[in-house]
Amino acid sequence: MLEIQGLSAFYGRAQALFDVSLRAEKGEIIAVIGANGAGKSTLFDSVLGLTKTTGAVRLEGQDLTGQGSSEIVRRGVGYAPERFNLFPYMTVRDNLLVGAYTARGDIETNLEMVHALFPRLAERAGQETSTQSGGERQMVSLGRALMGSPRLLLVDEPTIGLAPKVCDEIAVVLRRLRDEFGLTVVIAEQNANFALSLASRVYVLESGRITAEGTAESLAKDEALAAAYFGH
Amino acid sequence: MLQILIQGLLLSGLYALIAMGFTLIFSVGRVLNLAYGAYLLIGGYAYFYFSQQLGLPKIAGVMLAGVLGCVLGLLKYQLLVKRVQGVHSAVEIATLILAVVLQSAVVLIFGDSSKILLPIVPGVERVASAAIPYSNLVATIISWAILIGLYFFVRLTHTGRAMQAVSMDAKGAAISGIDANRINMITWGISGTLGAIGGVFFASYTQLYPGMWVAPLIIAVAVVIVGGIGSIIGTLVVAHIVGFMEIIVSSWNPELRGVFTMLLIILVLVLRPRGLFGREEIH
Ligand SMILES: Nc1ncnc2c1ncn2[C@@H]1O[C@H](COP(=O)(O)OP(=O)(O)OP(=O)(O)O)[C@@H](O)[C@H]1O
Ligand SMILES: [Mg+2]
Repeated sequence: MLEIQGLSAFYGRAQALFDVSLRAEKGEIIAVIGANGAGKSTLFDSVLGLTKTTGAVRLEGQDLTGQGSSEIVRRGVGYAPERFNLFPYMTVRDNLLVGAYTARGDIETNLEMVHALFPRLAERAGQETSTQSGGERQMVSLGRALMGSPRLLLVDEPTIGLAPKVCDEIAVVLRRLRDEFGLTVVIAEQNANFALSLASRVYVLESGRITAEGTAESLAKDEALAAAYFGH
Repeated sequence: MLQILIQGLLLSGLYALIAMGFTLIFSVGRVLNLAYGAYLLIGGYAYFYFSQQLGLPKIAGVMLAGVLGCVLGLLKYQLLVKRVQGVHSAVEIATLILAVVLQSAVVLIFGDSSKILLPIVPGVERVASAAIPYSNLVATIISWAILIGLYFFVRLTHTGRAMQAVSMDAKGAAISGIDANRINMITWGISGTLGAIGGVFFASYTQLYPGMWVAPLIIAVAVVIVGGIGSIIGTLVVAHIVGFMEIIVSSWNPELRGVFTMLLIILVLVLRPRGLFGREEIH
């Protein structure tokens, strides 16, 4: 469904990703785990066409390389970035409506789905996001991505700074998106426990390179990795 | 009293229109468009040319001036702003030079004497001791109609929300599928239109001459600084503060008309550097 092949990304002359390849099947949740500065956000930005890259990104067989981000979103990629990038002085509802920019025909169904997944967003529809808590912002961010009718959802560090209870809520939502809506989800995480609880397969990103990949079970058994990412 | 109220409202509506086109570009495109005055100039002379020299209907003259302003805005974005993107001071200096060049072109074509524009709608209404030209009344009504339309456009349409989105978070807008280039084009087009129509009204309020763009540009800067860049409501409110202040001051001593506006700018810059309504995004 998503296929990344030999992707390298650059900030000016500095290279942040080196020949990264990964794939995700339809209806699968995969995770990319890595420490600070490993290149997780760069990887997602690159899929959206926001960085300078070489290599190929394909979605359902279609080449996304060289497309502008608005076209990539239109083709079915939703993105919830790590710092949310919400519109602070717009209401929750308007933030969601901006997310529907490329999917105007689906506003009603998508809004219903988002409100069903996050009832809190329906209660807080009129609140400006600048006054919201981190957890609420994460919900708006996911909701906004879903308003674009994506088939692939990229979620960057959904648990960062959130209380365990909110993390659980987010995990439930991501599972429902896979199971009920058939979405393909890629999660970037430092919190490997969260990632492994959701993902069927995991890629380990270190300094811009994929250094390990495998099923959640096989990676959990790897002693060195376990020591590095799971703290036990 | 009634006279001051009416004149204040008339002038303020016009100032609001002029300031709005200016603030829109700053909040969406982050460009302090110092050459905004060029739209006013082109608008004023286009109206003069179409309605008074070619003899087209006046309303057609206003609309053609608006269209020309729109085209000018689009061209400026495509040929200049887009190419030096990111280097705002380069854009600002380049556009300011462009405005001066345009002013010279106007002098070459129309001469440098000032021209009296025939009223858009002839006739005068006497209120108390004041004569209120219908022309100014119509200008204010059209200004208000445009501003109200713009307000709802920005708040309620996909394109308008996208303009807000680009002004608030460029990356957030991009990942929502918004093409910032397209939104910028639309914004420059709207800004040029507002400026040119504002120019027609301003020229008929005062007079038409090649240097006419400077005073309203200063007003626009003042309104935007005091009102908070990007705030539609703030722009409206402050346009009225500035407009009323000018009318009140000039009823007392016409020489001091602009002085208080300048003092207000400095006062606000010192006390509240981000303006009374404070932020840079349109809302
Ligand atoms: N805009 C930028 N300009 C220059 N270098 C950048 C930029 N963004 C990221 N980098 C560099 O690219 C590398 C990867 O950064 P990235 O943000 O993708 O890592 P990350 O895995 O998402 O980290 P974190 O867990 O802290 O979010 C880092 O070395 C970072 O310094
Ligand atoms: Mg990151």
